[in-house]
Order: sequence, then structure tokens, then C-alpha cells
Amino acid sequence: MKISRNSLLGAVVTAAIVGGSGLAQAADTIRIGVVGPVTGPVAQYGEMQMIGAKMAVEQINAAGGVNGKQIEAVVMDDVCEPKQAVAVAQKIVNDGVQYVVGHLCSGSTQPAAEIYEDEGILMITPASTSPAITEQGYKMIFRTIGLDSQQGPVAGRYIAETVKPERMAVLHDKQQYGQGIATAVRDTVEGMGVNVVLFEGINSGQTDFSALITKMKKEKVDFVYYGGYHPELGLILRQSAEQGFDAGFMGPEGVGNKDISAIAGAASEGLLVSLPADFAADPNNAELVKAFEARNEDPSGPFVMPSYAAVQIIADTITATGSEDPAELAEAMRATTYETPIGAVAFDEKGDLKEFQFVIFDWHQDGSKTAVQ
Amino acid sequence: MSENGLQFVQQIINGLTLGSIYALIAIGYTMVYGIIGMINFAHGEIYMISAYVGLIVITGLSMMGIEYMPVVLIITLTMAMLITSAYGWSVERVAYRPLRGSPRLVPLISAIGMSIFLQNYVQLAQGARNIALPPLISGGWRFGDAAGFQVYLSYMQVMIALATTAAMVGLTLFIGRSRLGRACRACSEDRGMANLLGIDTDRVIALTFVIGAALAAVAGVLVGLYYGVVNPFMGFIAGLKAFTAAVLGGIGSVPGAMLGGIVLGLTESFTSAYLSTEYKDVVSFGLLVLILLFRPTGLLGKPDVEKV
Repeated sequence: MKISRNSLLGAVVTAAIVGGSGLAQAADTIRIGVVGPVTGPVAQYGEMQMIGAKMAVEQINAAGGVNGKQIEAVVMDDVCEPKQAVAVAQKIVNDGVQYVVGHLCSGSTQPAAEIYEDEGILMITPASTSPAITEQGYKMIFRTIGLDSQQGPVAGRYIAETVKPERMAVLHDKQQYGQGIATAVRDTVEGMGVNVVLFEGINSGQTDFSALITKMKKEKVDFVYYGGYHPELGLILRQSAEQGFDAGFMGPEGVGNKDISAIAGAASEGLLVSLPADFAADPNNAELVKAFEARNEDPSGPFVMPSYAAVQIIADTITATGSEDPAELAEAMRATTYETPIGAVAFDEKGDLKEFQFVIFDWHQDGSKTAVQ
Repeated sequence: MSENGLQFVQQIINGLTLGSIYALIAIGYTMVYGIIGMINFAHGEIYMISAYVGLIVITGLSMMGIEYMPVVLIITLTMAMLITSAYGWSVERVAYRPLRGSPRLVPLISAIGMSIFLQNYVQLAQGARNIALPPLISGGWRFGDAAGFQVYLSYMQVMIALATTAAMVGLTLFIGRSRLGRACRACSEDRGMANLLGIDTDRVIALTFVIGAALAAVAGVLVGLYYGVVNPFMGFIAGLKAFTAAVLGGIGSVPGAMLGGIVLGLTESFTSAYLSTEYKDVVSFGLLVLILLFRPTGLLGKPDVEKV
């Protein structure tokens, strides 16, 4: 019994491997993995990434594809969980996909990037802002978005120069992205003489912030910076309004989402959010914006255009070099400047953008925003 | 009162509210354990489902133009209790009854499976995002003033505390005084003997799950209204915390669940207030370990007599 069961298992595994590699060889299209949270609490951001990437794929295909081949977007879901991200990355490797646009959350991009680097897969993240991702000297890892270490100081300088709080609190969700950016903000404002009375982590998924809010109220905090995502900040805003704690609030692009207005209602009015510049408002992109609107999609999300740009860069590089080898593409990418919907893109040695602009927005309770800088 | 004193009062209010919520969920755990000696791991998910039912009913009512608050609240609670009770009954029917008489670990695993199933089912049916509820009951009392710091007690907080107390008193009376309650106690003492004496133990166990689910429904609706946000994952953490509260208070004891919930809620609040939010789980679970070291049966638990 035992032997036959083992051989059965062996047969199944063999079939799976053969089946997998069979798929990999059917490469008359160029397949790009688009990986992000399709489900889970931050799936909205994944949606921005998906609509941007898919639009690029369709427009490139409509214009004749890349060297006569069509591009195919292979969408995969990592739920923004590091564990799931590793599983997805391994699936990408097994399926023989050679290019990835993703992942989205820094916490899942980090472990996935290591796998892509080892397996020689070209990865461009349109959303992960943690500086640690490109710090390992990777050759295959790029991004079409700025860094927390660039965004934090922009937010910090705005706080110190324009808001000028007397007693400030900096909160974060203890995750790579949130804590990273909160630390950058704290260091910047403290360097410019702002008095930070509280620097504290909360648990992501936590729903009750009453004790923390009471403490901030008692400490006479007049401005709060939160590093993290919108579900927690939405609740903090709502509970603050209820307790009568009326400080100003600010957060990074992770909170800049219409859902924060759904959760916090009127309490989200006046929230400050640092976001990549609104590429949808750039007159150069007018035609592209129309294409999105024709499909009833919202091009103004912070990750839509960076995702579009990531796909376009891969396609442009394949066209220019005539090669499909990810390593050759990676080398060429470091030497090229691209014209994309997020402006002129050039990569530095680490794979980061040489230049990326963040803008401070004033958030409104109907989910819209206006630039204040 | 000084500013520090007022902050202390506010933190007690925060902690009691949080503790009442934990207690309301914990009672469901403790009841099932008290009667069949098993942990119902799907209880947190039942609580989550009731929050969704509440959301759907409230939205439906406001679409029909019914917005008078007490009516909305009563209809929502009733509907949530009915529908969630059906879920509780089904969980028992599917995951427990067919496994009656098998080793204790087996229904434990089937309950965990049930919990994962329910969580994914809601995620597929309702989407994984946070859904926000409109505030139904807002406002409250503000009192005391020291250097601009006022204590705030909202109507919702009072309601949560009252609902928990009512549930605990009602349940204690039900178990202690009613005929069915006596049947429950008999099952908890010795299920085989109770069966021999003519008690339909299957029915009593099903009833336990239904009552537990109805209480979770109250918790789900109130918490949904209080925090204003529901998502398919909310049952997991809440269930874990409530289970901790039940163990802390002495699993199997209804007043123990209440006490455990309040102790846990206050500990979390005070750790956040005077130490750091980062440490609140470290301190509360540390406290759990300490209490179990010195009182293995929890604060109000009775020592477990080995059944022959």
C-alpha cells in the first residue's frame, strides 16, 4: 500500500511539473505577471495597479504589440501578505513568466524581490516605497514610484514649515511601509525643531483606539502624522471626532483612498495626504485619461499611472533591444530615459527613480482632494 | 478633578466599553464549553456574520424609509439574532453533531474548518473591503473640565455596557432557574446520565449554540454600530480576544466571562494610556499567563473534576 501511494504521489508531482513546464514553453506571447492585492483589506490599491497595467497592455497590443508579439497580463493575488507573496513569486517562476509588474505592499514586495532576483526575473514595482527593497544591490528589481525616504522628508518639511504644530504625535502600524515613513517624518520634523511628544505603533487590524486618543488629548497633541493604510486611520479619525480630539491629521499615499471618507465621514475633511503628483491632471495625459474614463475607470489613483509606466517600460525596452532576456533588459533600463505618463523616467544604479515628485493634498469628506502645494 | 484624574476616568470608560464587547462574545464561548466541554472556534465568525446582517438590515430599512432609531435598532437586533441563530444551529449540526462521541480533537478541527469556511464565504459574497455603517446613534455626555480636557461618555458606550449586563444576568437566571437551564446543567454534569434520565441532550446542545449565536448577534450589531466598520476578518481577532477573556475569567463560568472581558479591556486601555499601545497585547497576554499560573481554572472557574 505504502509504496503504491508514494508512486501515485510521484506521478502526480511529475504530471504537475511537466504540465507547468509545458505551459512555460507555449511562449508566442510576452507574458507579464501583474501581482498585487486583488482581494483583502487593501484590494482597492490593487485595483489601481490592475487597471493601469491592463490599459497599457491593451494599448500596446492595439498598436501592434512588441516586435510582432502580443503582451499578455497574468494577474495574480498576493493579498498584501508576505507569505502569500512568496507563494505567488514561486508560481511566477514555475510558470516561466519573465517579467513582473508588482508587488504592491512593501512587506510583500521585499520577500518576492529576493526570489525574482535569484531566478533572473525582471520586476518593476509601481507602488512599494520602502527604501529597503532596493538596498541589497539587486540587478533585476526596479520601481516606478518614489521612496519613503523621499516622501517622508517632503511631508515632514510641509509639517514643520506650514502646519507648525506645537506638540506633535507620530503613529504607525509597525509594518515596513508605515513604520518606515513615520520614522522618516519624525526625523525630519525633529531636525526642524518640531516637538514630537509621542511616537507609537498600533496593531494593523485594531479597531479600538479610544485609549490612545484619550492619551493624545491629554498630552495636548495638536497634530498627528500616521504612517500606514486607510482602514486604521479612518477609525482613528472617526473615534477622535467622537471624543472631541480636534488635532490635524496627515498620512502618506496609503491613506489617500476614497474609502477613508466612507469610514471616517465628516472627520476626513481637512486630512492632509502626501501623494505622487496627480498624473491624471497632467495635460500630456489627457488622451490616456479619456481612455480610462471611456471604460468607467478612475485614472486618478496614485498607482494607476506608475503601473501603466512599468508595463510600458518593459515593452519599450524589449522593442529597443530586440531581446527578451530579462538580464539584458535590466542592463538597458539603467541606461535609458523613458517618456511615460509619469513624466521622464530614468533609473539609478539601485533601480530607483532618479527623480519623483510628491505633492501634499487636502482631503475632502466626499473623497475628492485638492493640492495645497 | 485634575486633568490626570479626568484622563483616568476616561480610560476606565474606554476600558469598560472594550471589556463589555469582549465579554458579550466571551459568553458564547463559555456557554458551549460549560455544556459540552469544547471550544467553538467558529464563534468569532458567527459574530462577524451578525455584523453583516446588521449592516444589510439597516441599509434595507433606510431604503424603505424607516429611520426612527428605536424601531431600526429593535428590528435590526431581532433579525440579526434570528439569522445568526440559524447559523449557530447549522454549525452545531454540521461540525459537531456528526462527530459526537469522537475524540475531543476532532470537533475542534471541524470547528476551525467551519470558521475558515464562513470567513471565506462572507469574503466572496460581500467582498474583502471594509464596509462602513452610517452612525445610527451618535452623541453622548461630556463632563468635567480641567485645562480643556473633558470626559466623554457616548450613548453607544452606555448601551453596550447595559446590553452586556442584561445578557449576563438573563443568562445566569436562565441557567439557574428555568427548566431548560436545568437540563443544560444536567448535560454539563454528566451527559450520559442526563440522556438516561430522559433529557434530549442533542436538543440541549443545539440550544446552547443557538443562545451563544444570539448573544454574538447582539455583540456584532452593537460593535458594528459603535466602530462603524465591518469586514470579513473582524471575527478572528475579536474571537481570539473574547476566548482569552473567557479563559481569564474561568471558562464555563458566565460571570467569569464578564469579569474576564472587563479585566482584559481595562488592561488594554491602561497599557495604551500609561505605557504604549505597542505593548498592549504583550501585557494582556502576559497577564493571562500569570493568572493561569496561579489560578489554572481562571478567576471564577471551578476546579475541573475528572469525569470517570
